[in-house]
Amino acid sequence: MESSDPLNVEGLAVTLGGRKVVNDVSLAVKSGGWLSVIGPNGSGKSSLLRAIAGIIPAKGTVHFQGKDIMQLNAKLRAQTVSIVPQIPIVPPRVRVIDYVLLGRTPYLGRGFQPTREDIDLAEGVMAELDLEDMSDRFVTEMSGGERQRVIIARALVQQPKLLLLDEPTTALDMGHQQDVLELVDLQRKRLGITVLGAFHDLTLASQYGTSMALLVGGTVSKSGPAHEILTEESLREIYGAHVSIHKDGESVSIIPERRKGPKGTPNSD
Amino acid sequence: MGNKNHKKQGTPAELTYKLVVGASLILLSSILLSLLFGPVSIRGDRIFLEILNRIPGVSIDSGLSSIQAAIVWDVRFPRIILGLIVGGLLAVAGASYQGVFRNPLADPYLLGVAAGAGLGATIAIVTGATNGEGMFDALPIAAFLGSAIAVGITLVVGGAVGRSTSTASLLLAGVAVASLFTAIQTYIQQRESSTLRQVYSWILGRLSTSGWDEVVMILPYATISLAVMFSMRGALDVLAVGEEEALSLGIRPRRVRWIVIGAASLAAASAVAVSGLIAFVGIIVPHAVRLVVGASNRLVVPLSFFIGASFLILTDLLARTLQSPAELPIGVVTAFFGAPFFLFVLRRRSDGVI
Amino acid sequence: MKLFKWPSTLLAIFAVTILMGSCSSSPSQVTATGDASTTDDQSSEQATEPFPVTLQTPTGEILLEEQPTRILSLSPTATEMLFSIGAGEQVIAVDDQSNYPPEAPTSAISGFAPNLEAILALEPDLVVHQYLPEDIEQGLANVGIPSLTQYAASSLDDTYQQIEQLGLATGASAGAESTIQEMQQRIDQLMAGIDLSDGSSVTFYHELDPTYYSVTSSTFIGQVYAMLGLVNIADEAEGAGSGYPQLSEEYILSQDPDLIFLADTKCCAQGIETVSERNGWGVLSAVVEEKVIELDDDIASRWGPRVVDFFEAIVAAMEQVTALEPVG
Repeated sequence: MESSDPLNVEGLAVTLGGRKVVNDVSLAVKSGGWLSVIGPNGSGKSSLLRAIAGIIPAKGTVHFQGKDIMQLNAKLRAQTVSIVPQIPIVPPRVRVIDYVLLGRTPYLGRGFQPTREDIDLAEGVMAELDLEDMSDRFVTEMSGGERQRVIIARALVQQPKLLLLDEPTTALDMGHQQDVLELVDLQRKRLGITVLGAFHDLTLASQYGTSMALLVGGTVSKSGPAHEILTEESLREIYGAHVSIHKDGESVSIIPERRKGPKGTPNSD
Repeated sequence: MGNKNHKKQGTPAELTYKLVVGASLILLSSILLSLLFGPVSIRGDRIFLEILNRIPGVSIDSGLSSIQAAIVWDVRFPRIILGLIVGGLLAVAGASYQGVFRNPLADPYLLGVAAGAGLGATIAIVTGATNGEGMFDALPIAAFLGSAIAVGITLVVGGAVGRSTSTASLLLAGVAVASLFTAIQTYIQQRESSTLRQVYSWILGRLSTSGWDEVVMILPYATISLAVMFSMRGALDVLAVGEEEALSLGIRPRRVRWIVIGAASLAAASAVAVSGLIAFVGIIVPHAVRLVVGASNRLVVPLSFFIGASFLILTDLLARTLQSPAELPIGVVTAFFGAPFFLFVLRRRSDGVI
Repeated sequence: MKLFKWPSTLLAIFAVTILMGSCSSSPSQVTATGDASTTDDQSSEQATEPFPVTLQTPTGEILLEEQPTRILSLSPTATEMLFSIGAGEQVIAVDDQSNYPPEAPTSAISGFAPNLEAILALEPDLVVHQYLPEDIEQGLANVGIPSLTQYAASSLDDTYQQIEQLGLATGASAGAESTIQEMQQRIDQLMAGIDLSDGSSVTFYHELDPTYYSVTSSTFIGQVYAMLGLVNIADEAEGAGSGYPQLSEEYILSQDPDLIFLADTKCCAQGIETVSERNGWGVLSAVVEEKVIELDDDIASRWGPRVVDFFEAIVAAMEQVTALEPVG
């Protein structure tokens, strides 16, 4: 299961609606690592992830474990990469167990019928995500947090070697945010999954990632360890936010600070 | 493949033997009921003897007169079987369209199948081409061709518009094509007013049989389209999460979409060619099935076949006995059941059950 | 001034007539004003006495000042009537379905969906029809063109009255009278040759189209059959309402009618051969004994003078069945 080949993205470009939303992006993640991608709204994080997942058209190459996954057919690629979408589509009247089992699609035969092994695997993942009592409920009836865990369960059940998370914690309260990210991190360490996560929350991004990339206007503005990227100046410059940085070993905590007055008045800066 | 050992875990959707047997029993009962009753009263046991008699190699005297025997074998039985096939085709096509368009209200006449068939049939009736009997009658062929052409245009225009794989452009193209074909059909029809009754009667829908000819004619198309739709039902479940996610799960949404639309349109076109425009079956039946067994197409598609077949057989029984010896157009009977059903579903939706 | 009123003996029967391309039927009253003479007059084509004439139509009174010489007929039956009473010379155009007599000046105007401008362009001085949309009626009224409505007949008496009315309208009353007399004579002759009391009832099935639409005895055609004493298998379906029920194939077979009349020979190319080829119909006695009669669609759907031909066809068929000697 382990491969030392890293994830190598080179020259990735995505054009949506005539605009270049991802412009010549290159990144590298070591195998089994976790890259956190941050950036302001509209910087192209989501498009970047979807392009790597191969679900939107893109130019460039994405080498992972010795293969250019952009060239793989959908089924093989799905056995390698799975993505937790930012805004998932949840069909009505579908039970949790069936929804999670959709993650086994790339491994199923012609009849699309899950086997005993598939079901056991799904149930195992659901148990780890605290979903075991909910398998018979409709996904649409669940709370935001429960639903997010269901979707992550589906992505994990796909047994990916590369897991893409598109802002996975947006709908979750603090406790569940940590639960979910801890679980993913655990799976990463246990199974050697490589993780690429797009984050809104900069603290979480730095706490769980092993490296970070800052995306601005579709290009990588900075990449490297979190503490190098997350400085008070860079955050002011890129986010227009006023913060103070607290280092904690490898990870960084960002503490927002209130301005002394409205922008533009004396002493506010 | 049950899941009976786990206590708290849910059971994944699966087409169990229980479901198949149950659905088959419903279908069998419908066939039986329809054989026994009709505008003409014939003893039930003799009906079965006569049918047995027709098996090659079997020779039984059923005690029926030659006319009664003709009624059983050349009129009643083939009509029931045609109803079975047409009902099954429409229901499965409806379920498949609903899966592809992710809309529970999609019916098999979308994309121009109905309008195209109507135009083809009108042209055939108006030019007097419908003079053959059964297999050589130009009417079903013309209706089928009309459907095929209309759907073809829709797919080309709708699929070609934009690089997006959205189904919205297909639906819009379907609306446009349907409007165009309907306009042409209305124009022709009102120019040739003497054939008004024939056209109208065809549009209302009728399980018309000339012995077994129509059954034989439709069988190859029915078999192919049903086989394809059956094999694609699992893929439709994956398509339910949208095209991007489906792609991330390893299927090719565009390919699945084209195949399913092609097969469902073939099914609907063949059904319309022999029976006119029978409304509601394609919508009511899959909906009803979903209410009972849930939304998984692995169950809904096959069960819709059985229930659709039973539904049409039974409504046809009503169509030919309610006003006996006169016939009600079957479209009237299915609409009569369809409208209240829709109301019922709407109420359940507003109550938050769905 | 003498006023002659012709009693109307029939009540209107309302039926769905889209099937027959005609509207509800009601009798037309004919009133003659002025120094009108009775219909027993010798033929006098001179228009001085018969005009002006006021006609009572279902849509109101119309006044014809002079003898019309530019008549537009939008009803195939009215066309036949006009020509048979000798007013053919006064007809300048007929609708696209008026195919008899052959010399009738067929135009492209549809009797079903007529175009007002096309009508006006012909400058008619009388429009005879079976139904006109409101706006066309209004358009004609605005320009002062008289429009004569003659609904589909529900009985032979209606037919005679319509012929008479057309006679009055065109000044060909004598021709109308002789047409009527001839019709009545021929029909009486035919009926005399049939023994209605011999106790056996001959059943029949009248087919309007290959999806088994038929007619009951409440329709005009149905009444013709009834006059001749034939038993209509479609009468069982009277409850279905319209007079034009769609019969179930099973029922037709089970009734095994003695005679089968096909009124869909022209529209739908049905004939003895196609009927005998229908699966299951080969066992019917009418098919086996070749008692399937092909009718002319038009004759079977109009109520004009050619209804006598219709009578003849039926009587000829009956003779085959009951082996009666024709009289006269």
